[in-house]
Amino acid sequence: MSPVSATYWSIPGYVIFWVLFAVAFGLFLQRFYLLYRLMRLGKQENRFDQIGQRIKNMLVEVVPQWCTLKTVTRKDLAGLAHALLFWSFSLFFISYIIFIGLAGGFGLSSLIERTPFETVYFSILDIAAVLVTLTLILAAVRRYIIRPPRLEPTAEAGIILIMVFSLMALHVLGVGFDHAARGVHASWPPLGAALAGFLSGTGISQGTLEAGYRWVWWLHYLVILSFMVYIPRSKHLHILASLVNAFFKPLGPKVALEPIPLEALEAPEGSATFGASKIQDFTWKDLLDFYACAECGRCHVNCPAQLTGKSLSPREVIHHLKEHLLETGPGLLANKTDASPGSQAEAPGKTMIGDVVTEEEIWACTTCGACQEVCPVNIEHIRKIIDLRRNLVMAQSKMPESAQLMLRNMQQRGHPWAGVQSMRLRGDWTSDLELKILAEGDNADTLFWVGCTGALVERNVKATLSMTRVLKAGGVDFAVLGDAETCCGDPARRAGYEFQFQMMAEQNIELFKSYNIKEIITTCPHCYNTIKHEYPRYGGDFKVVHYTELIADLISQGKLKLTNELNSKLTYHDPCYLGRYNSVYSEPRRILQAIPRAKLEEMERSRDTGFCCGGGGGLMWIEEQPGTTKINQMRIEDVIKTGVDTVVAACPYCLQMFEDAIDHKGIKESLKARDLVELVEAAMKQF
Amino acid sequence: MNTIVCVKQVLDPEIPPAKFKIDPEAKQVIPPAGVPPVISVYDERAVEAACRLKDKHKGKITVISMGSAKAADVIKHAISMGADDGFVLQDPAFENLDSFGTAYVLSKAIQKIGGYDLILCGRQAADWGAGQVGSILAEILGLPVVTLACAIEAVDKKLKVKRMVSDGYEVLEAPMPSLVTVSSEIGLPRLPGGMGLMMARKKQIPIWKAKDIGAEPSQLDKAKAHTEVTGLSVPTRKTECEIIAGGTPGEAAANLALKISKLI
Repeated sequence: MSPVSATYWSIPGYVIFWVLFAVAFGLFLQRFYLLYRLMRLGKQENRFDQIGQRIKNMLVEVVPQWCTLKTVTRKDLAGLAHALLFWSFSLFFISYIIFIGLAGGFGLSSLIERTPFETVYFSILDIAAVLVTLTLILAAVRRYIIRPPRLEPTAEAGIILIMVFSLMALHVLGVGFDHAARGVHASWPPLGAALAGFLSGTGISQGTLEAGYRWVWWLHYLVILSFMVYIPRSKHLHILASLVNAFFKPLGPKVALEPIPLEALEAPEGSATFGASKIQDFTWKDLLDFYACAECGRCHVNCPAQLTGKSLSPREVIHHLKEHLLETGPGLLANKTDASPGSQAEAPGKTMIGDVVTEEEIWACTTCGACQEVCPVNIEHIRKIIDLRRNLVMAQSKMPESAQLMLRNMQQRGHPWAGVQSMRLRGDWTSDLELKILAEGDNADTLFWVGCTGALVERNVKATLSMTRVLKAGGVDFAVLGDAETCCGDPARRAGYEFQFQMMAEQNIELFKSYNIKEIITTCPHCYNTIKHEYPRYGGDFKVVHYTELIADLISQGKLKLTNELNSKLTYHDPCYLGRYNSVYSEPRRILQAIPRAKLEEMERSRDTGFCCGGGGGLMWIEEQPGTTKINQMRIEDVIKTGVDTVVAACPYCLQMFEDAIDHKGIKESLKARDLVELVEAAMKQF
Repeated sequence: MNTIVCVKQVLDPEIPPAKFKIDPEAKQVIPPAGVPPVISVYDERAVEAACRLKDKHKGKITVISMGSAKAADVIKHAISMGADDGFVLQDPAFENLDSFGTAYVLSKAIQKIGGYDLILCGRQAADWGAGQVGSILAEILGLPVVTLACAIEAVDKKLKVKRMVSDGYEVLEAPMPSLVTVSSEIGLPRLPGGMGLMMARKKQIPIWKAKDIGAEPSQLDKAKAHTEVTGLSVPTRKTECEIIAGGTPGEAAANLALKISKLI
């Protein structure tokens, strides 16, 4: 007999059961509906394509717990505990539906209770309860005693740990009292049976045991209901929101920015918005990201800005924006006429840029993508930061002077290098080389896109020259644009100057099309990422190849033979925009392994855990925010630890950042920074 | 408050010396290929000054540029910074005018636009650097002129102008309308914002010919020019290095002082 079928103070148990359920579920829905309405304050964005793929993503990430297990390889075992907790608790969740909902609330106890199914299920739950309790203890020890930097020992976390433990304990207590009251002498489920044996042995009367069972049962039910009420009101909202967020995660490139449509600016003066200055300027997906955050802090401990002592922490940015939404959103909803998506209504109180997220934080991001790579719940941090930059740059005209200089140069001269560095003109590097420089009316299938840094900065021009010689030796038929080449637009886009980027993209695409270009070879991973993933939005569909991919290919086809011995110990640094952004990890390594007597050592932080050089996101030109050290100086320490004589870069920014760091440390004699292509040229048989 | 700003399109001052070529025969600079011309840096600061006044007092900014049809680019740049309107003054008769001829053409365009409270120019052009057009223009228009401004304020229908002098600045008051030439100390020109870029994109820049502004052919006669270019050359730089010796640093310093005193 389920305790629900009894009568309490002349009220039928069923009435109490369903009234309690209605109250709790009502509270759950009330909060849920508020969160939904707040989310709808955001701007429109279409994430409803490829539903099948989205469902698959959601299941693949959540059910096998890939979301948290993916970081276990980084010596972060918390994912294992989370997976155990998730699977065990899922079993408990199902048991609540069957043994409390169906058996209790719907009066089907006669069909379920005392069946072998119940015995087996409860036995499994016993094991799960032990595992859950162990993980809870580990979680408590980590949060309150070890205190790793990524976790804040919040009260919320404590409440949930206690709640989950109560659920485990009450389940076992319930089984124990039930068996003892009915005089069942079984050995399964083990914990419940043992407890029943103990209770029977104490000589407590049958009536007390029965009453005890009833009270334990109702208490258990109450805790389950409070759990349901509490979840959407705490950071444990992630239990629900992360599932939805996995469904809506980007299907294309890992880090994608939403363009501001140029047409939006044909709107009457003053009504257009540039980037985000108010919470409702973000899209609904951005707001959903806030709900999904579990404050696990993986982003916090992998962010190069944070690790070098800058004020930026991706975790805090997301957390503060979430708080801002919850604080100001209800007011915006109440003032309904102003609450349309993307409306101009200013929420009272704090200003988002300044009070919630500071300018210093906004300009510290290198867009390296480490945060998004480790995030278990698919939060897109970077595009929010870029949206904030867009507002600062295009609406408020507020930015570091170094950013302004770079952007002015982009606007007036079509490249980001101002001053001394631009003393080498774009066309200059081509002198003395027999190159096919495209002129009006020409056609070419394959274009070697040199990139601003490779054409303008003396150190990088050397790598560009190596590149042309390697291409020729490999028999690649290619053309260049010479002084008609401008910037791809990446630094403008990452610095928030979106229109400049779009104009450059459109111009470049037109130029490529006028020469009938099909394939584009790049040396700079930033150009590579931009042309490959961002130009298609503007009608530019070209095959884009990074030189590491091309050279690896030429070597395996036998078109390039690396025969000269190098006799060098080297390490390879993964450029963020090649590695994390585009998953090109193995090609550069294959090339290095093909060089005779070049010994490749890996840094501890490599491949997807690679650490930024400090030059991405426009920070090649924008002054680094104040911190305890510079990002490139921290990275060079990683290099030094491997004991190599050469650090190999496959990105012009990384190369410069390394040379700077080596100079700063004064270790020029023992450590060299080389572009991968320079090593390839050195190892090539000289023709 | 309505402002007219005169701007000039010049060779990018950032082109490397090696790329800078002249034709000594024709006494002309040969523009290098592949380097787009830019707005003269001082004129850009004049636009910035106009924008700052507009931010405070509203009003309209009109930009004019005498030059080739390509000068529409610098007008668009000024519009993207916050100017409202602009015209290019282009006519074969305007080519190779000296400062007096240029000021005359600008004055005719300004008279056609009319309704101004302030006229702004850069302190000098970033290419020839004569620094005369502003003052001559004021003379033609019969306006007071303040040169080398590093700050301009409008107070009680009057202009309060900070003017750079060699050991600081002086503050002058001028009536409206006046002509002010702007120096770089006014500060970094703004980066065009989203709205500005769009305005510039949409804007059509009309071209005014000599007859459109009623410029008299007799005034554009190059034979009557007040100035003449007699020669053009790229300055050569010679560096010689001499180590000043001395038994002690003190002696070396004394020898250095001696050497310098002989050179002065």
